[in-house]
Amino acid sequence: MAQLPVVGAQQLAPKLSKSSLFDLLGSMRFAISLLVIICVASVIGTVVPQNMPANTYIDQFGPFWFEVFSKFSVWSIYNSTWFIVIMAFLVISTSICLTRNTPKMIRDMRSFRENVRGSSLRAFHHRVELDSPRDLMASNEAVLGWFKHNGYAVKVREEPEGMLIAAKKGSSNRLGYIFAHASIVIICVGGLLDSELPVRVQVWLFGKTPIVENMLIVDVPPEGRLSASNPSFKANLLIPEGGTRDNAVVNVGDAALVQPLPFEITLNKFIIDYYDNGTPSRFASEVDVTDPDTGKTFSQTIEVNYPLRFKGVTVYQSSFDDGGSKIDLLAYPLSGRQPGPFELDKRVGESVVLPVGNTGKEVRLEITGLRTINVENLLDGEPQPRVFADHVAAVTGSAAGKRDKNLTNIGPSIEYRLIDDSGQATRFHNYMIPAELDGASVLLAGVALQGQQDFKYLRIPADESASAIEFMQLRAALADPDARAEAARRFAFNSAPEGANRVALQESAYRALDTFSAGGLQALSEFLELNVPEAELPRAADVVIRLLGSTMSELRGVARERAGLPALDPNEPDNVQWVQLSIGALSDLRFYPAPILFSMKSFDLVQASVFQISRAPGMLPVYFGSLLLVIGIFAMFYVRDRRIWVWLKRNDQADGTHVLAAMTSQKRTLDFNREFERFKQALSRLDMKKE
Amino acid sequence: MADTMTATRPAWEELTESGDGRQLRGRPDWTDVLFFIILSLGTIYALVVYTNSMDIYEKVILVLTVPSVVWLGWLWRPLRTMLVISALTILFALWLYDGDIAKADTSFFLKYLFSSQSAILWMCTLFVVATVCYWVGLFSKTAAWLGTAFTWGAVYIGTVGLLVRWRESHLMGPELGRIPVSNLYEVFVLFCLVTALFYLYYERRYATRALGGFVMLVVATSVVFLLWYSFTRDAYEIEPLVPALKSWWMKIHVPANFIGYGTFSLAAMVGFAYLIKENGETRSWLKLAPLFILGVLLAAEPLVFSSGKVSATWMIYFGFGAVVVGTIMAFRGPISRRLPSFEILDDIMYRAIAIGFAFFTVATILGALWAADAWGAYWQWDPKETWALIVWLNYAAWLHLRLMKGLRGTVAAYWALVGLLITAFAFLGVNMFLSGLHSYGEL
Repeated sequence: MAQLPVVGAQQLAPKLSKSSLFDLLGSMRFAISLLVIICVASVIGTVVPQNMPANTYIDQFGPFWFEVFSKFSVWSIYNSTWFIVIMAFLVISTSICLTRNTPKMIRDMRSFRENVRGSSLRAFHHRVELDSPRDLMASNEAVLGWFKHNGYAVKVREEPEGMLIAAKKGSSNRLGYIFAHASIVIICVGGLLDSELPVRVQVWLFGKTPIVENMLIVDVPPEGRLSASNPSFKANLLIPEGGTRDNAVVNVGDAALVQPLPFEITLNKFIIDYYDNGTPSRFASEVDVTDPDTGKTFSQTIEVNYPLRFKGVTVYQSSFDDGGSKIDLLAYPLSGRQPGPFELDKRVGESVVLPVGNTGKEVRLEITGLRTINVENLLDGEPQPRVFADHVAAVTGSAAGKRDKNLTNIGPSIEYRLIDDSGQATRFHNYMIPAELDGASVLLAGVALQGQQDFKYLRIPADESASAIEFMQLRAALADPDARAEAARRFAFNSAPEGANRVALQESAYRALDTFSAGGLQALSEFLELNVPEAELPRAADVVIRLLGSTMSELRGVARERAGLPALDPNEPDNVQWVQLSIGALSDLRFYPAPILFSMKSFDLVQASVFQISRAPGMLPVYFGSLLLVIGIFAMFYVRDRRIWVWLKRNDQADGTHVLAAMTSQKRTLDFNREFERFKQALSRLDMKKE
Repeated sequence: MADTMTATRPAWEELTESGDGRQLRGRPDWTDVLFFIILSLGTIYALVVYTNSMDIYEKVILVLTVPSVVWLGWLWRPLRTMLVISALTILFALWLYDGDIAKADTSFFLKYLFSSQSAILWMCTLFVVATVCYWVGLFSKTAAWLGTAFTWGAVYIGTVGLLVRWRESHLMGPELGRIPVSNLYEVFVLFCLVTALFYLYYERRYATRALGGFVMLVVATSVVFLLWYSFTRDAYEIEPLVPALKSWWMKIHVPANFIGYGTFSLAAMVGFAYLIKENGETRSWLKLAPLFILGVLLAAEPLVFSSGKVSATWMIYFGFGAVVVGTIMAFRGPISRRLPSFEILDDIMYRAIAIGFAFFTVATILGALWAADAWGAYWQWDPKETWALIVWLNYAAWLHLRLMKGLRGTVAAYWALVGLLITAFAFLGVNMFLSGLHSYGEL
């Protein structure tokens, strides 16, 4: 204790321990140290993303540092005990400072300090001394008049040999200090009331136990429920359209408590409006609120920036989700001779375990999301270089955009995850209807492996019914040796004139299909590299590609025949393109990390609105404190305090007055110097005899 | 004695007359009344014609703007003149537009002068020219005068550009209309204007043009950023607002914030001038090194921000910045002799930080009130909020030490300069590095 820095000077040794601790807590040095710690902690809190799942941190920092950082609650720094303790110390420190200085300041504010000794004014830096030919009364009158005109409050002390005029102005500057510091205390206390602290106190002291496992709200035991009259909470509430709720959920770390609400809330409709460019312009929930005490119901629209305030509780539009939309899925197997599709009805949020062909393995399908609108910029490329003049011309004029934007709504899409036996999760994002890309109509099927953020898209050529069915039939035909053999035969028959060596051609075509079927384009290129001399490689590759293209066209014919579809002219450009795209997609399918591809046939949208519901008893104190803070700061900076003493001493010999004046201020700025100059000049007029 | 008193004027009047020949501002006169009447009429017109486009809060803000602007105009007459000329220009531009955004490409005056983008480009040009003039002005009075003139010109055309942009946003589509302080591009223009205006105020008040070059360096930097931002990112295009930003709070929160940012930057540059003056005769590299490093660091800040891949523009900019800092330091002797006294530099620094701090406080509180409506909590440690708090605490500590412990001179100046690093991070860095609710205006 004795080593603590002693702030007040000249402390006596026996008093040291107690009062110096008090001094330390109330000292500015202590307060600033706390502020520095708060700053550093805050910086950490902004740099390390807060309140993420533990896995994210373990991935980022490794298990060792995860443990170390967890000790200091780095993942939720602003709610950590030590942070709150530091805040509490800041409140204590500021309170001590305030209680110690307020009485002094108020006394000082009120006091004119008229008991100063006339001669001591000479010790001031800003002082004037002169002899006036006027008598005491005339000088006094002139000085008082000047003070009054300039807004000074004045107190006069009469002495036998003269009089001392003490004047002051702008004393409320001191109130500024008091207000500003009191406001910090009020704001911090208000903030603590609205923090997680009250809920945590209930966990510590009143035996509330946050629920860790998933369960229905009705099954939650009483110790998992907060009181309906809980004074301070911040809860979340998801309501699907048509649903009614009277309980919200308060998150405590990874667990949760149930917070009963003082009213029932029914979501009639959730609305998203869009701008032309596809970004949302408005989120709104049309709700009915029923008060169980009165039985009355009223309707209201809750919007971002327009919360609902009722019975001391505020309901904000915070987000939205899927409320369990019904989705008809088409499942296409990606291996074997069955083209599919098989139909499957699921709701968003549901999952199902599916067998993988005859392998005995299983995958779990989780439908994670449905998006009804996807506005994309399909011309997104690198900006072309422009010459400087064009650059300038491009940015002049009005603020209306000149960029060529090809924003198109490419329709609804579905997101799902497949989790295999080893627990690897892969995310998929498949569009329901084809998009026009590079002049072809393709279905986009996106894949993101575990740990990847962005989707990579497979382009599946769409068929006449805008679906992937024909492509999948082609895939099944390619997997079937009989179909391959038939395609090779037709190719040889159609392309070689009668009498030529059709058998050799058929053999080559069959081998090309076989290789492609087994290993995609890569296998073909490997085959060529092994068997063809390097000089002839480009020409050979060209031949093989054309061979493959034609044979695949024949294979398509075989597949269409099997499916009962009419034959097509293989030389029509659209069909050539379709086959080309198919070859690319089939080759890419080899890297597709799933045995099944799901696409959406139709859906029935059910939205859900997510509300944040809070009761914030600290809000009023915080707002009041903020008001005080603003008043305090402006008073501190812009109310200039000045004190002037004028000591008028009768000068009997000259029948005049000896004038000694001094001026002082808390803040000696240039303004003060200027004001002193003005005062000095004014006073110097006393020098002259009154006419 | 009694009759001498009645016969003549009260004695204090002589005292008053004699002393004060340097009244900083006069009493309000008929021009102020006229200004007030014109502004009021304009406001009434807006309230009547556009009554359905504003909610009650926006109407209150509009009405309160009138006395504030009149007061500012009385406080500082040149501002009033500038506002009147800008307003006339804007009316001219709106008349030219005649409700059709496409006129920007056909009307000569719009295309080359008064459409928002052209005006803002002129502003950029004039600010850069003004910066050069101020530096030359250290050695030539005419150039310094030109610096002031060009700065006023830039402020004028910038104000025109920003306000015409407001109108353009409405012309582009009814749902796009909004006050032009809602994305990074627009607030950068605002930042340039606010910083320049505060500088012009202090320039007149302290009767010195020697600081112009220093302060305008920050403005010129913002101009470089603005140009880069519009040329490479097409940032000038008006995009629709996200729902959370559609609120009247923005009209007061953002401008208040930028008074803070502007004055903090100004204070930092005055601090830089202070340190140059202090080291005017220094030969020791050890003493100069920290200043040089800090200067270069400030020039490097955009480089750090450019999200990983360093583009050629910013490399050139950084090199140029380092050369500028080096040149200033090389000429520190003559520069320091032309700078105003330490006392004045110190006073400007204090005033700028004080006013910035007051407005930053207001802005942060307004932000909290807005957040309570938009996000459901007045404070939730969002990165932008947190950094605003850090900036606030930084200047709170600066002011405490100055007011309580009489902190002056070198330390205060260095601190103000470091303060700019922190402020710049809060202003830009947060948007770029840290995700959060304030993540509009990404780069």
